[in-house]
Amino acid sequence: MRARELSLADRLAALREAVGVAEGRLEVPEVGAARSLLAKAGAREALGDATVVALAGATGSGKSTLFNALSGAEVSTPGVRRPTTGVAHATIWGENGADRLLDWLEVPRRHRVADGDPALDGLVLLDLPDHDSVRLENRLEVDRLVQLVDVLVWVLDPQKYADHAVHSRYLAPLAGHSGVLLVVLNQVDRLDEAAAVACLADLRRLLDEEGLTGTPVLPTSARTGFGLPELRTELARRVGARKAATDRLTADARAAAGALAAHCATDAGRDRGPDRAAREHLAGALADAAGVPAVVAAVQRSARRNGTAHTGWPVLRWTSKLRADPLDRLHLGDERSRTSLPQAGAVQRAGMDAALRRARDDAGRGLPPAWRDELRRTSEDTEERLPDQLDRAVAGTDLGPDRTPIWQRTVGGLQWLLALTALVGALWLLALVGLGLLQLDDVVPLPRVQGIPLPTLLLVGGLLAGLLLALLCRPLVAAGARRRARTARRRLTARVAEVADEEVLAPLSEARADHDRYCAAVGRARS
Amino acid sequence: MTAPVLLTDALQELRDAVAAAPLGLATPGRDATERTARAVVDQVDDYLLPRLRDLDAPLLAVVGGSTGAGKSTLVNSVLGARVTTPGVLRPTTRAPVLVCSPADLPAFSGDRVLPGMPRTTGEGDRARDLAGGLRLVPTEALAPGLALIDAPDVDSVVEANRDLAGQLLSAADLWIFVTTAARYADAVPWDLLRTAQERGTALAVVLDRTPPEAVTEVAADLAAMLQRGGLGAARLFVVEERPLHDGFLPGAQVAQLRDWLRGLAADQEQRAAVVRQTLAGALESLDGRVAAVAAGVEEQAATAAALGNAADAAYDGARQAVNEGVGNGSLLRGEVMARWQDFVGTGEWMRSLQSRVGRLRDRLGAALNGRPSSADSLHGALESGVETLLRSEGERAADRTVTAWRSLPGGGALVAGREEELGTVSPDFAPVAADEVRDWQGYVLELVREEGAGKRSQARLLSWGVNGAGALVMVAVFASTAGLSGAELAIAGGTTAVGQRVLEAVFGDAAVRALAARARADLDARADRLLAAEQDRFDELLAGVAEAPDAVERLRAAVATLAAARRSA
Repeated sequence: MRARELSLADRLAALREAVGVAEGRLEVPEVGAARSLLAKAGAREALGDATVVALAGATGSGKSTLFNALSGAEVSTPGVRRPTTGVAHATIWGENGADRLLDWLEVPRRHRVADGDPALDGLVLLDLPDHDSVRLENRLEVDRLVQLVDVLVWVLDPQKYADHAVHSRYLAPLAGHSGVLLVVLNQVDRLDEAAAVACLADLRRLLDEEGLTGTPVLPTSARTGFGLPELRTELARRVGARKAATDRLTADARAAAGALAAHCATDAGRDRGPDRAAREHLAGALADAAGVPAVVAAVQRSARRNGTAHTGWPVLRWTSKLRADPLDRLHLGDERSRTSLPQAGAVQRAGMDAALRRARDDAGRGLPPAWRDELRRTSEDTEERLPDQLDRAVAGTDLGPDRTPIWQRTVGGLQWLLALTALVGALWLLALVGLGLLQLDDVVPLPRVQGIPLPTLLLVGGLLAGLLLALLCRPLVAAGARRRARTARRRLTARVAEVADEEVLAPLSEARADHDRYCAAVGRARS
Repeated sequence: MTAPVLLTDALQELRDAVAAAPLGLATPGRDATERTARAVVDQVDDYLLPRLRDLDAPLLAVVGGSTGAGKSTLVNSVLGARVTTPGVLRPTTRAPVLVCSPADLPAFSGDRVLPGMPRTTGEGDRARDLAGGLRLVPTEALAPGLALIDAPDVDSVVEANRDLAGQLLSAADLWIFVTTAARYADAVPWDLLRTAQERGTALAVVLDRTPPEAVTEVAADLAAMLQRGGLGAARLFVVEERPLHDGFLPGAQVAQLRDWLRGLAADQEQRAAVVRQTLAGALESLDGRVAAVAAGVEEQAATAAALGNAADAAYDGARQAVNEGVGNGSLLRGEVMARWQDFVGTGEWMRSLQSRVGRLRDRLGAALNGRPSSADSLHGALESGVETLLRSEGERAADRTVTAWRSLPGGGALVAGREEELGTVSPDFAPVAADEVRDWQGYVLELVREEGAGKRSQARLLSWGVNGAGALVMVAVFASTAGLSGAELAIAGGTTAVGQRVLEAVFGDAAVRALAARARADLDARADRLLAAEQDRFDELLAGVAEAPDAVERLRAAVATLAAARRSA
């Protein structure tokens, strides 16, 4: 015995939580069954604590005779023709109106016992149609009411007690309901004493085999009245306890939770999340598919081009302007508009698919099929959204400062200075040429350095120094470009990894967490 | 007289065709079809063939009915001898008992009727009774020409009993159907009665254990029900519920039934009429029942086709995706592009064009030393790219097939328990794919070597080494068909066009195109082969349960042969 039995309200709340989690996630019939049980429980609980007992059984087992004997009046007409009872009858003990309850049960024929045994006060006894006759509508009516009543009294008889129809259709599936079940072996007057004992023992064995060990079996004879006091006492006990409805709903909730538990892996273990290697693998595959390598390459080339433009030889510097900036052409920097990156190739897409599948499989390890299906659906949703999300991520990533380094500006200024020097030299030489034409070249003294005329030195030196500086700066520019590319790659990869976490791993672990929540709720509803 | 021989042959063929009908797929109608097929086979084995081989053999009447209907008591009372044991515990008769006149014993002790059931004789054999045998009880109480079988109940909790009852009933010339006042409207026995009506079996109904006060009313009600069910021709006997004398019903109660049975045994004509009725009815019913089996087989075939189509669609999709990936040059993008840029961007390319001799020495040296050159790393990229593509598409196709199968009728059972294993590529896919791709590269290199041999440009080819040229052809494979757009060319550093131009210089335009086409065709063929091997896993599953493609034709032919044989008989 557990320290404290879970109350019905708590049990139903747990079941409701499980159904809530499963809704939209699991596509299994058990959820629908549990939902209708919750609806039924809500309706039944609101209809008071009267005890609805149904007499169910095969045609000719003497249900109606038993019903009349218990009711103390000819309410239901027994007959020799088969099948007899077509609709359910009700007898109500006590004054409190069970009319709303019977309306809910859709039982129109009612009989009230005003001055009956007070111990039975609050009992609503139903006589169900037979379940095994050629009339299918009877069987459907029985199936409906069997789901709704609080206590089921199965009336069997020596001829029919081992019928396949009753055992496979009703008794065996009610194995979890042994507490709300009562089996009556009617018409024992037809057997002699030894045969009756053997028959009861055989019936007991059949019930035990079906898992109904807790169900009492009472021998009765509606005709002679044998066993009726015992049956009445048993019914009075259940009516007096005022919890038959609760017991029934509890058993139903347990059964529904038991069915739901089929989609629960208790040994799946906690979700530890994907390990570091798997996470990096996923981020890498997504980065490839998002065109990160292309962006990084463009960043590097752009940085090199800009560097060259600043530090290059001013005479030829303009040529680089003829080519477009490779980074500008990718149309990055604005998260709202689509980049001009080429679409991912088949290999990148294949790599991404494989990585997504792996993430999905990792998340689904140990889960039951219905939940793995849900993970697949989640993953398919992700796959659809992902290219766009990745494009946004790449577009919105800050690729690092786009400032021209100070040394490059300095070198640029120096280059201009050198060009200016060369220009001064050139102009000077031009002036000398003019003076020469005017035969005035000896008038102006020509300064010389180490015997070389200064203007020549300025021109040649300026040009050569500029060229040399441009060449010297090239490796430095390239190194800077590489550094910028590295920064860009780091930032892009980090951003893509964020996307992978948010868009891929989070929904998966959310589903996994829902599974754990579902299992916990089902476990509580079942306990 | 050849006709009966022909008829039995036709029946035998029909039976074999029905027994061989493939019903492995768990379609919605499978269980019903299987039951029908089993019933047909049983009936042909247990009744039709024995009866056709010996039309004059004693009449076999099977006493069947619900549990607790009092069959055994009735049989004992009719015979006036205790041949079978009644009891209050249900189900009572667990092993069927065949009662016949000692004169008829040889007719039933052989394998002529119910060949699948071993015979036991005598009392005290209870242990063996339970093992699915048939107990033979010879008694003088029964006149020659008629045998009775006390069958197990048709509706008890013991499934074996229900099956056995069905089998015995299908072996009967005459059904003596026992029901009671409490049971005559039960659904299960009425299902059986409807079967009897469909099969045209001769039928007698005994309303047993009727309370004396209700005889008239119940008997009239049952008679009306029989009339409504199309069984108005059945004889109805009413037996009142009376205290047993020493285990027997009072003689007066069973006299009517006993007399009728005696009359039947004595009258050759009447017996023959019963046999003819049941035989004709059974043969008649075969048409419809075999048609039902054929419909079930067709459903199987349609289901198998649907499953096959689902697998086909998934793998065709994979093939197409691989084809596109290889064909539209997209393999070049991404990683391959980057590596290609490395290859070109290092300047090897231009320098190798400009100072051929110097580079020739270096690169040949590198090839001889086994140092990886840039061309080698390009190989590596292409290789892993194709592999990634193949693997991913293989996985996707397997996943899709499993998903589709699980939602299709019959498919769920096929993959049940193996979803994890079937939902991805087979374990040896990766190594096989790697081998295929390497083989393909070998093939491409061989192609280049063949084309290049004897050409004027051989020296130039050698200048990059055959490896380098092979890589170029591979690049051309991906580029030649699609024509990369300007933007991509810019990203690729404009190198593909250069590569192609140089190759054209080496081999000539036509040669490059031919090489590219051949290399691509070879790659496609390899991919197809790989994926086909993957798909085979599913096809094998299907083939395992849905063999015999001509099963429907065989069934139809057997029915037609039977009809022809009946006309000529």
